Amino acid sequence: MTPAVNLTAVWVFAAFVVASLLVTCWAARRTRSVGDFYTAGGRITDLQNGLALAGDFMSAATFLGLTGLAFIGGADALLFAIGGTVGWAVILFIFADRLRNLGRYTFADVVAFRLHPERLRILAAVGTLIVGIPYLIAQMVGAGGLFQALFELPYGVAVLIVGTLMTVYVALGGMLATTWVQVIKAVLLLSGGSALGVLALIPFGFDLGEMFARAAAIHPFGERILAPGGLYSDPVSVVSLALAFIGGTAGLPHILMRFFTVPDARQARKSIGYAVVFIGYFMGLTVIIGFAAIVLLAGETQYVDASGSIAGGANMIAVYLARQVGGEAFFGFIAAVAFATILAVVSGILISASASVAHDLYTRVIRKGQVSDQHEMRVSRIATVVIGAIAIALSILFRNLNIGVISALVLAIAASVNFPMLVLALFWRDLTTRGALVGGATALVVVVILTVLSPTIWVGVLGHEQPVFPYAYPTLFSMLVAFAVTIGVSLTDHSERARMDRAAYPAQLVRSEIGQPV
Amino acid sequence: MADHGELLDDPDFQRLLRRRSRLRWGLSGLLVAVYIGYGLAGLYAAEVLARPLPGSAITWSLVLGYGIILLGIACSIFYVWQVNRIIAPLQQRLAREYR
Repeated sequence: MTPAVNLTAVWVFAAFVVASLLVTCWAARRTRSVGDFYTAGGRITDLQNGLALAGDFMSAATFLGLTGLAFIGGADALLFAIGGTVGWAVILFIFADRLRNLGRYTFADVVAFRLHPERLRILAAVGTLIVGIPYLIAQMVGAGGLFQALFELPYGVAVLIVGTLMTVYVALGGMLATTWVQVIKAVLLLSGGSALGVLALIPFGFDLGEMFARAAAIHPFGERILAPGGLYSDPVSVVSLALAFIGGTAGLPHILMRFFTVPDARQARKSIGYAVVFIGYFMGLTVIIGFAAIVLLAGETQYVDASGSIAGGANMIAVYLARQVGGEAFFGFIAAVAFATILAVVSGILISASASVAHDLYTRVIRKGQVSDQHEMRVSRIATVVIGAIAIALSILFRNLNIGVISALVLAIAASVNFPMLVLALFWRDLTTRGALVGGATALVVVVILTVLSPTIWVGVLGHEQPVFPYAYPTLFSMLVAFAVTIGVSLTDHSERARMDRAAYPAQLVRSEIGQPV
Repeated sequence: MADHGELLDDPDFQRLLRRRSRLRWGLSGLLVAVYIGYGLAGLYAAEVLARPLPGSAITWSLVLGYGIILLGIACSIFYVWQVNRIIAPLQQRLAREYR
């Protein structure tokens, strides 16, 4: 039912690739030092970084997935839109200034500021890679599936295109190229989404009341889609989902790394303020688009497969709606924007994983900082190519990966390992090296065990009758365990190192609030 | 930072910490409480949330949901404005004095 080649999609996507490669060439000439490579020399402006941050968060999964969720479940999707907005606002309040003032390249700089530097860098690097690499693979598997559904392009070819382009952007152009790719994509996505929203509301005369009324009249769930309720049935899941959103987003290393690309804390603050506005607007709009699709795609049999469900899955709703209201050309444009989105997001994740390997592990831990600038640059480029190749290989190997499960697991790990470690390092004087290490390791084990025992894997994948752990989201428990263990171990830690860790807190407090000495 | 002992005792630094902390945890607590409250209301007050506004199909659930998104944006703008207006001048004065 989909034409093999949509010329608009090919042209828009080709234009994006050409533009991004030109940006990469330009950025490569300006990337001369390690600081340029990891953080674009700290010369990104607040608005650019705000767009790039929003771009890092607004993945194809957010746009396509949220539209699909609203199409299927109605107002439940609002919980995700609220989660995104609230999560980012909380990042602004608690992390923006302190993180920018304490760190240079990665969030490991921040947790290693007063704690045992090598041990904390290893822990932060584990937290970065164990979140980053599965997230990278989930995105690329999603990209392969999307390419296949829209253009009938072989899966492996799609993964290879996405993987090669991201490696080229990052290895040659570093953070400067990654940021500009992200900015271009964010502008395309915000304008494409807005255009889709406007086109979808024209048939209702921009009357939201009428749109919701007609959606409820057509939808099999009827009036129930205008109120939340289908997504969860117990309070534990509600709280877990909220904590996963807030702590998970705040624990994503590629997002935290963006704080260091602006000149100072003031700009970091403003850039995250911009990001909250973009994200709140976009996610709120996406839910409306999903509702409009309920009415506008009703009875359009060309989007339904033989079994009666949406061809290619609910993630295709946004692109189908684009064709329905805007014709072939607009459909091609939105499809191309979706690919551009994936490409930009994977580049952001790749540079944070490379920085973690090259800067935290190699330069700081293995070589104890005794590395020349040029040498570290070379190592980070090699790390980029190696991680890119691993991601391509694993994406082709695990093409049937359940992306939803992996994304939820990654968010739970970020919320349970990285987030508590950062919060306690920044705000709790008595945190010690031992507390951070034991707490982080325990949290990681707890997340993985609870996820395996949860309904999704224990029943859904392993085929057991009953889940051992009854909740779909482990975050409430694993995050509490992380905080409890870290605090308990720190309080009972009377080592010499613990004394040093605590004694260094006042200096950290001053620097985190006042800024770096000039 | 030559002597942060003195800086730590400076009344301006104490004021900065207090204001910032009130702003930081107050706004975070507000938004998280409202978000979780909205989620729980979907469980325990579902019929109230499902009620439409008079003369429209739009339910309270939709109004409140979009209201919370707007509240999150408003709190963020308020935070940036407050820090730039009140806290940043304190920071600059302290940074000049103790550096």
